[in-house]
Amino acid sequence: MNPIAILRQFFQGLTAETSPGRIGAGITLGFLIGLMPKATLTAQFLIVLLMATRVNIPMALLTVFAVSLVNPLLDKITDPIGYALLTSEALRPLWTRLYNMPIAPWTGFNNTVVPGGLVFGALLSAPVYLTGRRFGVFYNEKFRDYVINSKFVKGLKASWLLDWYFKGGV
Amino acid sequence: MRWSYLAPRLTLLILLWAFFFFAFDPLLKRGIIKGIEKGAKAKAEIAGLKTDFLHASLKITGLAIADSKEEYRNLVEFSELSFSVEGAPLLEKKLVVDSAVLKGLRLGTPRKTSGKLSFYKEEPSPLVDAMVAESKSFALECAADVKADAAADYKVDPAELESVKLARQLEETYQKDYADIASRVDTKKYQDGLDALKARYEKAGNEKNFARQAGDYSDIAKEIKKLTSDFKKDKEEAEASLAMAKDAFKAVEEARRKDMAAVMARMKLPALDAQSIARMLAGPVIAEKTAQAVKWLTLVRKYMPASARGVLKNEARRGREVHFPKEKSYPALLVRRLELTGETGLEDPLEYSGAIEGLTNQPQVYGRPATAVIKGAKGTRRLDFNVSVDATGKVIKTAFKLSCSGIQVKQLRLGSPSSFLVDITGGVGIFEASLKTTGEEIAGKAAARLAGARFKPKADNIKAALLRSAVESSFAGLSSAVIETDISGTIKSPAFDINTDLANAVSKAFTGAMGAEVKKAQEAARKKMDEALKPYRARLDNMAAAKQAELEKKLKDAESGISGAADGLLKKLTPGKLKLPKFL
Repeated sequence: MNPIAILRQFFQGLTAETSPGRIGAGITLGFLIGLMPKATLTAQFLIVLLMATRVNIPMALLTVFAVSLVNPLLDKITDPIGYALLTSEALRPLWTRLYNMPIAPWTGFNNTVVPGGLVFGALLSAPVYLTGRRFGVFYNEKFRDYVINSKFVKGLKASWLLDWYFKGGV
Repeated sequence: MRWSYLAPRLTLLILLWAFFFFAFDPLLKRGIIKGIEKGAKAKAEIAGLKTDFLHASLKITGLAIADSKEEYRNLVEFSELSFSVEGAPLLEKKLVVDSAVLKGLRLGTPRKTSGKLSFYKEEPSPLVDAMVAESKSFALECAADVKADAAADYKVDPAELESVKLARQLEETYQKDYADIASRVDTKKYQDGLDALKARYEKAGNEKNFARQAGDYSDIAKEIKKLTSDFKKDKEEAEASLAMAKDAFKAVEEARRKDMAAVMARMKLPALDAQSIARMLAGPVIAEKTAQAVKWLTLVRKYMPASARGVLKNEARRGREVHFPKEKSYPALLVRRLELTGETGLEDPLEYSGAIEGLTNQPQVYGRPATAVIKGAKGTRRLDFNVSVDATGKVIKTAFKLSCSGIQVKQLRLGSPSSFLVDITGGVGIFEASLKTTGEEIAGKAAARLAGARFKPKADNIKAALLRSAVESSFAGLSSAVIETDISGTIKSPAFDINTDLANAVSKAFTGAMGAEVKKAQEAARKKMDEALKPYRARLDNMAAAKQAELEKKLKDAESGISGAADGLLKKLTPGKLKLPKFL
């Protein structure tokens, strides 16, 4: 995924592909990515998933940014969950096996906030998705036209490079 | 052809390639230079740096690190360092180098440009400064005027004595230490524990289920044994801590010796004993070399984890990392073997070669100490260097041995310009040193033996003809010398016991020349100084004895109370006291 394609998806997300479902899914995935430490393979995998699926990218990125800001507070919830999972006797063989596998340590699975964040994110995915959908409806009604007609988006659309690259598909 | 699809991807690939081809190595080189400069507090240069991503290797050529103390000298330089990183451990986030090569390692080479960094200032070594000051204060200039009653008019002010200041300070420190130790022996905690166990015993006595009752009794017995053993451990720790606090009193004796030297310097009385003369002659040189060795040792220890807990320390920026047993465990960073070659000496360099093994940031995981063995030989010259840094246990242990023979001594100056100097030229020397550290403690020996040398004393500052000729005659016809030193104390403040046959000869000559008068005056001065120190020393000793007795009584009372109650409870828990259920 190159930076120009990300830019393209970002603008497409602001102006097109703004169905409430896609916005809700983008916010849910962004919430999950936001909970993860970014220098892990798990976070990178989720980012690839975000780019590969047709979810709303700008909302997802904004959610990642917002959740990352409140991470010190959320860690107080995800850390004990992760610690309980990682020190659970029942799961010990699984963790030990993963620990001895190549590549697996790069996922950061043995960091309490990674499994804790995944479980916490999965538990909250349904309410976050539903709230995100409602926000999607609100965005389409109140802001979508305003964003499409904004000088910034219009200016970008008028640039020859983006026009050539996107073939007018922004 | 879809150029709109291909062009950005090709551009990105070209940009990536260009970054790694043109910019990565210079950026890494700059980063390494800045890192070294921060650590060495002097300029560092790297002639070339080459990374190879295909083979995961790095090659650094022409590295020179300037000495922060000497502007135009390099602390260390080497011509090449190359290594490859193993692939499999890299997949587990581990950097393992099986074999590395370091070529052309040289220490203390001259440099053409200044190596000084304007924003760094070298901290003076208190050890060297103290030895130089002690050497300078060695008084000889008015020795001829010494009379037996020289001390009669001299008044000792207790407030000026270092030993008195130290005794006062130790009194305060000891009282604080005692309060801390006494508060740590929390006898109430054990009494409460015993009361809780008694209550559990009463409760278990009413239990109808025999098996459960037996289980409860067994648990209570185990806990009583643990409680008494914990108390004994605490008691022993408290006693040991108090004994350690009292150990600090030994420093008063050292301070008293320094006071004596200072008093004699003020009274212009020369010290005639061999130890004082040896410290004046060789003290500054030995202190400088020891300060250098300690500096390197401190640097090595700085990058070693402090304890076994270092393995499991929380290295993550967020969250905590939980570690699991490894079938094949690698430390996060390991250089199994680093082959090195280099040379020492500037005019007639001696080539050496050796290897450093087990360099790691997680010694507890690796389980073996880091070692270095270096050997070199050329004609009659020999170099043997062994060092071991063991951080696999609770405390870091280091041991190093150095043996150099056939050293050509072109010029060596001993002594102090304020008393007398000895220039040693044209000899051959042997130097042997061994030093061990355990935690903060340091212990070692060093000896330098010189043969076939010329000793030229410079005693112009000694006005007394008798003493001057005594110094000159001591060195006349001398061709060999031995300087030995015992090093003890702590890394931060090492203590020396210096002996040299040069000092013995000078001491003998001094004593023969005017020993009687000086000795008498010295005795009078010592008596005055001891009288000034006596009340402070007595107060310190009495206070320590009283506090020790107080703690011993407290511990004894608590021990008899806890042991008595615990034994009583344990007796009740013996199987004979259990009421067996009646089945018939």
